[in-house]
Amino acid sequence: MAAYVALERGYFAEQGLDVTIHHSTGQHLQLLLSGDVDVTTAAAGSVLKRRADPGVPIRAIALFGQRGQQTFIALADSGIDSPSDWEGRTVGYRISLPPEYLAIADAAGVNRGLVQEVRVGFDPRILVQGKVDVLAVFKSNEPDTLRKLGFEVVQFDPSAFGVPALGLTYIAREDLIAEDPELIARFLKAALKGLEFSFSHPEETLNIVMRYAGKEDRDHMRFMLEAEQADAVSAVTDAHGLGAMTLQQWQEFHDLLVRYGALARELDVAQAFTTQFLEAAYEEGRLVWP
Amino acid sequence: MRAAWPRPAAQRVAALLPTAVSLLVVGVVWEAWIAVAGTPVYLVPAPSVVAVRMSVDPGYFLGQGAITLAEALGGFLLGTGVALSAATAMAHSLVLERALLPLAVLVKVTPIVAVAPLFVIWFGFGVMPKVLIAALITFFPALVNGVTGLRAVNPGALDFLRSVSASRREVFFRLRVPSAMPYLFAAFRVSIPLSVIGAVVGEWFSADRGLGAVIIVAHANLDTPTLFGAIFTLAVMGIGLSLAVSALERRILFWHESTFIV
Repeated sequence: MAAYVALERGYFAEQGLDVTIHHSTGQHLQLLLSGDVDVTTAAAGSVLKRRADPGVPIRAIALFGQRGQQTFIALADSGIDSPSDWEGRTVGYRISLPPEYLAIADAAGVNRGLVQEVRVGFDPRILVQGKVDVLAVFKSNEPDTLRKLGFEVVQFDPSAFGVPALGLTYIAREDLIAEDPELIARFLKAALKGLEFSFSHPEETLNIVMRYAGKEDRDHMRFMLEAEQADAVSAVTDAHGLGAMTLQQWQEFHDLLVRYGALARELDVAQAFTTQFLEAAYEEGRLVWP
Repeated sequence: MRAAWPRPAAQRVAALLPTAVSLLVVGVVWEAWIAVAGTPVYLVPAPSVVAVRMSVDPGYFLGQGAITLAEALGGFLLGTGVALSAATAMAHSLVLERALLPLAVLVKVTPIVAVAPLFVIWFGFGVMPKVLIAALITFFPALVNGVTGLRAVNPGALDFLRSVSASRREVFFRLRVPSAMPYLFAAFRVSIPLSVIGAVVGEWFSADRGLGAVIIVAHANLDTPTLFGAIFTLAVMGIGLSLAVSALERRILFWHESTFIV
């Protein structure tokens, strides 16, 4: 969303960049690694997992999701009000068992032996059809989709249980960061300007997003925007600006992934991200423009 | 012209030689290209890397492949059984053909990936949705060839059977079924590899076992050696099933010209 705004508002052009935004369905990382794109988005968890195995040379350059994207939902009338109610129920996940789920279960003392855990793919209707009782979803998407279908849900947000998950990042290849840091710096500055604009001008941001969103529902896009904005701010961004990140945040998330077996090996977390471009973009927490 | 079965062992080996050589050439070129271009393994693995991955844990691929194979065969048997039942009815009734064929075409043109998630919702997480998707994808070839084959009877033979007051049942089993067999085997050769694809697509959407699930997880993890190992296992499975159908065809239709080689 920040990139769309930066493109349409001319922020990239002001930074001397001619940016083309490519769309892909799940191939972001491969496109980055093959050199087809220079910057892409990736979940912070994916950055750590893919650096651990197979050891791809990528680094996060900004953290837009100060909290994890994943949440867990149940139907409001299901009688599931806390994680302890998961016992005796079925929990559905997309591809692999999320460490956030394991962390919540641990924190709440859930006996996982009493929970049936099944891979169910990406269709949230599996919940309303009663095939699962709890479903792992993106907090900026499925809760609103189901609400529009007439189903109220309760959420179990990992951050509410003290789970230090992180969300969406911008990433670049290490070779490009080393060879052309100016390019990355200008890109990120424009994107951050776009993100700032989205906070102060939500309706204009939606107008821009809808130009790229085809037949998507505007209200749903608004829900997504608001959810992503809510997770884009934290005490860290209050102090250092949008997109900011710290070693402590990454280390805690790394340790979470290690604890629940989501990382193939332990990493030097400091190598997984760089704040050099954020530091160049901000001065005392304010974006320097142009 | 002579019958192709049984063929001498040396001739069968010679028949496989062109395939083996072409596969070898592809493998060597692929390996060399990876080495020269320096392509990292997370983008494309060299064949040798895939071979090592499979040799390290062959039981993994065999075990996951067995699950997919069982689902595929279940779907093939179900889809073919339903298709042949419908074909029998349609071959005897133009009205039924006109009523059912558009529905069959509708099934044929429906993108499997569009309905597969719904099958999970309707039929749960077990074997059933995978079998049904495999059945769906194998249904059409058996239906169309079944109808065509059951109608492609020798007119003279049909007149003869009618002249001796043969019942419809006798005409069906003594004339229509034998006449349809070459058509049915042609359909089976098409649909049996399709059944594997159907099972894999079904596994993409819900399974935690089977080669479809292996592919999804390996793709998400950029684990290309495992991904290609699963693809290779599927390829071997598809080829094996096709060869099995061909062998069965030669054994059953030894009298038919389709099993002859010139």
